[in-house]
Amino acid sequence: MVERIVYYAGCFANYYDPQIGKALIEVMRQNGIEALIPEQKCCGMPMMANGNVKGAAKNFNYNVKLLSRAASPGYDIITTCPSGNLMFRKEGLAFFDSEEARFVSGHIYDAGEYLLRLHHQGRLDTNFREIPLKVFYHNPCHLKVQNITKEPVALLKLIPGLVVSKVNTNCCGMGGSYGMKAVNYDLSVQIAQKVWEDVKAAEVDRIVTECGGCKLQLEAGTGINAVHPIVLLNEAYRSS
Amino acid sequence: MAEIPSILVLEPAAEQSQRRTAGIMVKKGPQLDLESLKAHLREIRQHSRDNHISLLEELKRNLDQYAGVKLAIATDAKQAASYIKQTAEGTDLASINKSSVVINELRPELQASGFKTYIRYFTEFKNFEKFEKKVEDYWALPGMHERGLVESFDVRKTVTRLRSSEVRDFVAILGVNAVSAEDGSVFFLQHMTNISKDLEQAKKIILVVSLEKVVKDRGAALFQTRCMGIFGLESILLDLGPKEVEQYDFDSLPTLSGDQGRELHILILDNGRKGLLKDGYKDLFLCLDCRACARQCPIGLHLLANKGMVYSPKNYLLGFLQGWLPPAEACVHCGRCQVECPVEIDIPTLLWKGQFEYYARHGRGLRKRLLDNPELLAKLGSWTAPLANWAKDRVIFKLIMQVVAGIHRQARLPTFHRQTLRKWAKGGRRG
Ligand code: SF4
Ligand code: SF4
Repeated sequence: MVERIVYYAGCFANYYDPQIGKALIEVMRQNGIEALIPEQKCCGMPMMANGNVKGAAKNFNYNVKLLSRAASPGYDIITTCPSGNLMFRKEGLAFFDSEEARFVSGHIYDAGEYLLRLHHQGRLDTNFREIPLKVFYHNPCHLKVQNITKEPVALLKLIPGLVVSKVNTNCCGMGGSYGMKAVNYDLSVQIAQKVWEDVKAAEVDRIVTECGGCKLQLEAGTGINAVHPIVLLNEAYRSS
Repeated sequence: MAEIPSILVLEPAAEQSQRRTAGIMVKKGPQLDLESLKAHLREIRQHSRDNHISLLEELKRNLDQYAGVKLAIATDAKQAASYIKQTAEGTDLASINKSSVVINELRPELQASGFKTYIRYFTEFKNFEKFEKKVEDYWALPGMHERGLVESFDVRKTVTRLRSSEVRDFVAILGVNAVSAEDGSVFFLQHMTNISKDLEQAKKIILVVSLEKVVKDRGAALFQTRCMGIFGLESILLDLGPKEVEQYDFDSLPTLSGDQGRELHILILDNGRKGLLKDGYKDLFLCLDCRACARQCPIGLHLLANKGMVYSPKNYLLGFLQGWLPPAEACVHCGRCQVECPVEIDIPTLLWKGQFEYYARHGRGLRKRLLDNPELLAKLGSWTAPLANWAKDRVIFKLIMQVVAGIHRQARLPTFHRQTLRKWAKGGRRG
């Protein structure tokens, strides 16, 4: 039987950085796992942040219905979006509880968390080519609060030549679209300042972070490109 | 029976004294870890939350037996302030401590009723060198995380009578850390010497007990106060330092002759707390005000700077629920405030809940409604890419977005892709 996972991409990987989703699919394929992509909508967290509770409920219920159905043969649900992950695991569940929601909450994993588990089971293909890069890893708050801080770093360290020279777990102040709003912009920039300074001081080639919002914020303040770890892993598989 | 219940003041016990006190609270061995401390604390806090009515009754009964204590109960801050005003008998000078209930909830009302309030804690910094040793001791305490936890806080002063030769003409209004229902004993944690001095010098002492601070017995009260130190240790850094505006030299006030008119009051304050229990916020009752959540919060320091309040995500939410703050609008919803809470209050979820209830009652502004459905905007952007990408970087578009949708003109917006991931996946995965 082919091993499968159900992939929840989230808005960022779908609309703004499809590279992330493609990388996830290819990394899975490299490990003999097929990624299924059921119909899906925005997780609803950005709607909650605008006080659109009805809209959030509608999206959340739609997603848990389709995700739980797709995963019902016993597949894990994998996401590359930290906020989507937190939404399904906890934040959304608190308000839009249902049997399907609880199923999704119990079966969803961050991509890094999942791949590291594969590695611990001796099932991850670690035939990576060398990528000589010095990177700054920024741990998004929405992973930190789920206690997923060490996994992404452990995974990155499997890539030969790649050096994680600094790990940051402070908030970057972006909070999805929070930092884009005029009312929050100044506060958001004040919060980001510390992280921006740390990135600059680390003199790295690239920033690595899972969250689309963090990516925008970190790139805006440092001019250094930020990528999702899955994209680097995929790069390391290519032509290996 | 003594004249007043014991008032016990705890202080950090740094290196030299740690050895002496080691083992009182946490014995070396398997139960030395943070998790068992938290579990015991949760037990105490849950008992307080679930039995607050009977605990209050028990406390009242026990306090009645002390002739030297006057007990008052205030339903809100206004009532509390007017009681204090009446008690002060003409004195308008008040020393207050750094407790959030006094500073956030009472201070505005006290000032409105004519009191001049000073946080004596900050005044203590006037002789900073004198306290340097104390501050040094403080930092000599082991850090909270990944450390072997040892006995860190101990009772340094016990007040058992009202008599004093140091009395001066001012009121001390002190938020307590815990009160034991069983015998009425009151516990404080002090970092400087402000509390001890107030207990010794103030003509009228008003101990403010917010409803949730009543615990079952002395052991529980002592443990809770120690935990306030342990879990709050690092948050002290958040606003440690001298503050010019807060300073007043109480020490230089003339001493009054004898103890004439010296009084001890215990003021129990509800201020909306009972309502919280009914409205789905009952876990806020578990809070011991350690502010471990504040240390994690990215917006805290910035908000704190201009509000003069004792900031913590919990206080931010409580302030909204009590009606003196907007509905936590500045929250990033990062979820970090839950990470270190020793009693595991799910503040992030309660913050959402508070906001939802507010919008349900008051509706949402146009800007919020315009950004109602971010995915729709993303779809529009994808359909119209690359035009949308060209437009989003134009000054005129940025200005329109700022005026209409409230998106800051300098904000970096993401780039749209005509071929979304799902389209790509459906179309045979070329690309
Ligand atoms: S969720 Fe809000 S209150 Fe809590 S830490 Fe984040 S910004 Fe602060
Ligand atoms: S909510 Fe904040 S102040 Fe209250 S107990 Fe938890 S960490 Fe401490």
